[in-house]
Order: sequence, then C-alpha cells, then structure tokens
Amino acid sequence: MLNLKALNFSFVRSAVLFIILFVSSISFAQRSEDLIPKDAVTVFSINNFTLLQKISLDDLVKYEFMEEVQQELFDGSTSGKTMKDSGIDFDQKLNVFYGKGDEYEVSGFTFGIKNKADLFQVFDDFEQIESPYEGVEFYGSYFNNLIIKGNSALLIRVEPTMEKVDATTDSIWYARGNENPFDTYGLDEEENKEDVFEEEMPEETEIDSYNVPSLGEDPNQKNYYELRDSVQVVMQAAFLDKLCTELLIRKVNLVNYDNRFAQQLTHESEGIFYLDNSRSLQNAQGLWYFETMFPTLYEDIKELYTGNVMLGDLILHESSVEFKMEARYGPELGSIYEKMNDSKFDKHVLKYINKNNTAYFTYNVDMREAYEQAYKVIMPILTDEKNLQISTNVLTIELLNEFINKDALFNTYKGSMFGTFNGIKKIKTTKIEFSYDEETFEYIEKEVEAEEDMPIFTLGFTTDRGDIPEKVLNHLSRLTSRFKNKGNYWVYEDAILEAAPLYMLNKNGLFIFTNDEDLAVNHSDGYGAEALSRTEAKKSKKSGFMYGYIDWAKAIEKFPRDFFDERENEIIDAMRGKTGAMHLTTSETTKEKTTFELIYSFEGSYENSGKYLLDLLNSIYVMSK
Amino acid sequence: MTFKKQITRMKNVFYLLFISLTFTLSSCIEIIDDIAIKNDGSGTFKYTVNLSSSKIKINSILALDSLEGRRVPSLEEIQQKVAAFKSKLEGKPGISNVTLESNYNEYIFKLKCDFTNISALQNALKEVIQEESKEKNIAELEHTWLSWDGQKMGRSVPEFTIKKTKELKQEEIDRLKEGNYTSISRFERPVEKFDNPSAVLSSNKLAVMIKTNPFVLSQNADVLENTIYLSPLKN
Repeated sequence: MLNLKALNFSFVRSAVLFIILFVSSISFAQRSEDLIPKDAVTVFSINNFTLLQKISLDDLVKYEFMEEVQQELFDGSTSGKTMKDSGIDFDQKLNVFYGKGDEYEVSGFTFGIKNKADLFQVFDDFEQIESPYEGVEFYGSYFNNLIIKGNSALLIRVEPTMEKVDATTDSIWYARGNENPFDTYGLDEEENKEDVFEEEMPEETEIDSYNVPSLGEDPNQKNYYELRDSVQVVMQAAFLDKLCTELLIRKVNLVNYDNRFAQQLTHESEGIFYLDNSRSLQNAQGLWYFETMFPTLYEDIKELYTGNVMLGDLILHESSVEFKMEARYGPELGSIYEKMNDSKFDKHVLKYINKNNTAYFTYNVDMREAYEQAYKVIMPILTDEKNLQISTNVLTIELLNEFINKDALFNTYKGSMFGTFNGIKKIKTTKIEFSYDEETFEYIEKEVEAEEDMPIFTLGFTTDRGDIPEKVLNHLSRLTSRFKNKGNYWVYEDAILEAAPLYMLNKNGLFIFTNDEDLAVNHSDGYGAEALSRTEAKKSKKSGFMYGYIDWAKAIEKFPRDFFDERENEIIDAMRGKTGAMHLTTSETTKEKTTFELIYSFEGSYENSGKYLLDLLNSIYVMSK
Repeated sequence: MTFKKQITRMKNVFYLLFISLTFTLSSCIEIIDDIAIKNDGSGTFKYTVNLSSSKIKINSILALDSLEGRRVPSLEEIQQKVAAFKSKLEGKPGISNVTLESNYNEYIFKLKCDFTNISALQNALKEVIQEESKEKNIAELEHTWLSWDGQKMGRSVPEFTIKKTKELKQEEIDRLKEGNYTSISRFERPVEKFDNPSAVLSSNKLAVMIKTNPFVLSQNADVLENTIYLSPLKN
C-alpha cells in the first residue's frame, strides 16, 4: 500500500519552497507563469517577491503555516540562509495553483531560477530522471515532480481523483471474477456499524486480518487495495504525461487558455488572484446528483455559471494593504445580481450603528427584484427538463408564485440588513449561591443577580410591513411569559444560551434583534449624536450592495484565545501591536461584474513589509484553520 | 462565489464569532465537599458542583462540535454519563441511598450517598472513577484522603491537581481563583480541636469548615489537610 503520509510530506516539503517564495517576484523577462497548466482553477501569483528577500528561512519556517513542512524541507540544509540564498529568481513571478477536474487534481507552483545549485540545496531530495521532453529537465521526489525549463521551474503534484481510481479498480476487480471486496464476513449490519464506530483507530494487524480482503490462496494475485494502489500509480503517471504533453509540447498553459488570467497577470500589483468559479462549480462534489440524475439541467446550470470568475489584486502601500476582487459572471446570472443589488440604501440603519462599534456591516439588496429576475431566468431552464420530479417542482413553484402575496412577503423581508459587534459588555443574569448557617454550617441555595460578560451583537432587517412581525410577537407573548412587550421594544427572556435576554425593536422601518440592553431601552430610535459620523455614514452609503468595517485593534483584543493553542496565540499576540482598520467596499453591480475592495490601514510598527505581510498571512491562516 | 454563499458564509462567521467570544468570558466553579460521620463510622457523603455562574459559557461550549481539537459531548451524552456514574456507585458494597440531582438549567450537580464506613466510601469512589476513566491506572487514586479511627478524622487531597494546573493558561488560572471550594466535616459529637489554622468551627461545635478556591487548592493540596479531634465518646 502506498505510504500516504510520506507522500503528503513530500509534497508539502516541496510546498515549503513555494511559500518561501510567497511574497515575491517581479517578472519581466522570465516567464514562470508559462508553466502554469491550464488545469489550474485557482492561482495566486506573487509579483513583488523582493519583499521577502531579507526573510531568513529559519524565521520563515517558524510560522504556523509552515508547521507541517518544517521537518521535511528544512532539515538543516537551509540553516542560516535567507530566501535570497535559495536560488530563486526574484525577478520572476511566483505562481501558486490548484485545480480539480473530472479525472485528476493538480497543485503546485511555478517560479524562476537564478542559481540551480543553490536551489537544489533546498530541494535536496529530488533526483533527476530521464526527461521525455526536449529541453526540459525532470526531477522526482516521491510523487512530486520538479520540471525545469530554461530559467523557470514547475513543482507539481498530479493526483487522480479517488472517484476515478475507485471506478477503474472496481471495473478491473469484478472483470477478474472477484466477489465484493467489502464482504462483511458474516457479520450482520448492526454489528458491523458498531465495529466501525468503536474502532476509530484500528491497529494495523486488525486491518490486515479483517478490513483488507484477500484473494486467498494465490500469493501472486493482488488484493483489492493493492490493485487500487497500482491503478492509482499508473493513472498518476498517465495524467502527468497528459498534462506535460499539453503544457510542454502543445504549449497550452493557463495564460494562453484564459485571456482573463493573462490580463490579470499584466497588473503591477504585488500579487494577483484568479479563481475560475465556473470550472470550480463543475467539479463541485455536491452537484454529482444533478449531473447523474438530471444531465440536461446540469448542463443548463453550467451554462448559467459560464464566465463566472473571480479576479483579485493585492497591493501593498506604506501603511495599508489593499485587496481588490472582481467577481465576473455571465449575462444571465449577472442579470439576477444586477437586479438584486440595485437597491436604495436604507439610511435608517445608520442611526442604529454606534460610532464606537468594533465592527459593523451594511447589506443592501432588493429581494423582490432578485426573485422576479431569477424566476425569469431559472424557470425556463427547469421547465425544459423532461423529468417528473422536476415538472412537479416547477408546477409547485408556479402555483406558489400565483397564490402567495409577494407584496406582503417581500415588503416584510426586503433583503437589506445591517449588523454590528459592539464589544463586550456586562449583562444581567442570575446565578445560584449557597449561604451557610453559622450554627451548623448547613447551607441553602438562593438565586442572586449576577453579571456576566457577553459579546454584544445587533442584527437588523429593513421592513415595510412591521405589522407582520408584530403579529407574530403578539402571538408568541400569548404562548409564553418569556416574551414581553415593553412598549418601545420586545424582550425574550433567557433566549441567548438559556441565560441572557434577546431584545427586538420593531420601529422606523426596521426589525432589529439585539442583546444590547442599552440599545433597546435607551436608544430604540437610534443613537442620535452617538451614531456613526457623517463621514463614515457616507462611506457606507456610497458603497455598492455591501460595506463592512472592523476596528482591528479592538477586535484582536477580543479574539477567542481558547480556540487556539499556545503557538497560535503567540501569533495573535504578535498582531496585537498592529492597530488599524479594515474597510470592505463594493462597486455598483452590473450584468458583467461586481468589484469588492478590502483595505487594511494600519498604524503599528513593523520590521519590514515582508515580515508584516507574513504576519498577516499567518494570522489569516490561523483564523481560517 | 455566489451571493447566497457569501451571505451564508457571513452568517456563519457571525455565529462563530458570537459563540467564540462568549467562550472567552470568565467563569468560575463552586464545589462543596460535605461529609458527615456518625460515631459508628457510617455516614453521609455529599458532593455539590455549582456551575451556575458559568452557565453562559457552558451553553456556548455545548453549542460547539469541538473545542481545541476535542469533540464536545452533547447534553444527552453528559446526562448518560451522570446516570452511569450514579448507577455504578449504587452497586458498590457499603454504599446506599445514592441520589444525584442534576439541574441542567443552572448546571448544579448534587451527589449524595450513605456509607457504612470510610473505607467503603473511598473504595467505591475510586472504583467508579477508575471504571469511568480511560486511563488504566490512575496513580492518584492510590492516595488515602480520608481516615477515621473513632476519635479523630484525617482529610487530605492527592497532588495530581498541581501537575494539571501547570498546563493552565493565565486566564484559566484567574478563573480558578474566582471559584470556591468548601470542605465540611460533620460529626455527632463536639469537635475538640483541629490542626488546620484555616478551618473554622461551627457554633454548635459539630462541624468544621475550610473555604478556599480551586486554584489555591490546586497549588497546595495541604490547604485542606486537617486532622479533627473529637471529644471523648460518652457511654
């Protein structure tokens, strides 16, 4: 059986270098990007690699995101070296890619080479193998491949999808006249389930004797798993050959395959990002059912997603980091987004956002318009499907569309909303205390008032039909005494974690949920002078369908330390000195695209841009783990 | 990414943020360890754990699937464990009238049982703890924390807590300091004297109490160590 762990390490080891390269490279003469296979669905390309030149490799491997590869790649050969010493050409781009198709997935990175000898000091486990391609050097390490062409290199791993491997293995297995390889050996289903549940980490001997079926008498005949391993290895080689033939002989790469990517590469930002959502959708595991059961519908959905791509730029300024992202889509999907996002900003929300809030967002959409447009676009697709189940659903939707009072529905929930995080506050709760009788030390319970810290959140929705939620609340208050009408607001006792009250405000065209007693009791008509400043309010109003803000310094102080281990908390602590704010803005949505812009402006001190960027990246890695 | 996905992700982030921030908040625990010994050596043991001041935190943890890489049990699983503990204790020799009150609104748990003698109580608790633990041999369970010879009672605490607390973070230590640990020993005849200067005697002279907090206890097991001498038994 393949040693998957070694396999994984080996790839990761190679991945290290790629991350080393992570923040660098301005490419003009060299073309590392020409080695990106067209199978790549996601690419992160670093232009300004020079930022990382001063980072020592020893420092780099201390980062959390390097944890798994520390022992593998940096096994002493890189000690005392900086990235500059690793043989990488900082004048070329570093391109990290990943892609998954129907048959195989690819991952890896491409980069420029300045000094091959230095490079192989780091990639010291790679051995040269005979190259089937003229002018191309081939190196192998476990299941990773290093391909060097001119002064550029491609480090790649090609893995056949497990679905493909399993299907082929099954086919061969049964064609040879074998029985079901997963025979339960006489155990009934219930017993079998029990074993699986209990034996989370079965010992190897148990696997050999029980789980792995054997063909029995003939020692030269492979068992099922051995056969599957062989299939996997053969497929891996075949798919690598297919990819290389296309890339190195037919010269088809992502740059000449997708012009949008080629255009993005011309940007002079520090890094660019590319994600082909349409191909990503095609390979989404969740759609296999559609693909199998409703092939025509699946094709239509694919068609709907054609042209759906995300293109991004990462720009470093002296005191800010800017991330611009463009979401592009095809005309049909775009028409829905355009209608949905063409919504008038509800200025009422602004007075419910306190100027001292740690974080908030506003979101403006028109659900009615989006519904009508989606109905126009999607219903014809569904109607064309000649399938009983789909036809029944179509009829149901059409009847609902006729019978439901859409005015009432979409005036109650219009789609626009806002949310705030208002820091940590003391909230009133109760606890049980024991009081002791001095005479006997007998003790009795008594309920006393208590205060506990609670994160304060507010979530509000725009509504033109406040009377409808009011009806629901009135009904609920008749069902339970925990729902109370307090005049300006409603309160639902012990609603949050069975301990804290939830307040509901139904005023000024908004329906608001909050656990902020101060907002409910003292500011049910808004914060007045304590609300967002005009400047901030203007930014929110001017943004497209969405605006977001986070006070990084305040937010990081409230970071959930208990979720992270000691090392991760060290990184979070390191970020504490870096104060600043994050702003997310969006453009107007058109049929073709929406642009998102995230700007992080900081004030803290830092050693150099590269180090700071790595700190940020590492923080994001820790948060997203 | 579709807009629906964006919104779903946004909502998930807010939910996670809410839960996670709640989890960071301070909390404390109150424990009452109450043992009443009759002149014949039999008696009643009561152990109360009061987490009512941490109920928001407990509820927020229970809302999670896992924490620090470990699976968080469901409330039903906790209830089953508690019931199993009671059931196992009931079956131990020398133990009777086992009751276990569980208040899952306030998170207060009260264990009460009668015992025929101190050894029966110790053995029963040790065996149940060992049976419930995944650890095969818990060295700390070898410790004798109660002794009784009819005239005096000895109490002590094994040192395992000290080892455990060395792994704690400062914030967790602060939380432990906010808690209470109360140890009460009751008798049928008056107490004559006791060794531990932190202990106090009830007005009726039939009970001795020591109050500390879980952190102090974890650092210094001797804080609860006490030998209580009773007045001579009248014929």
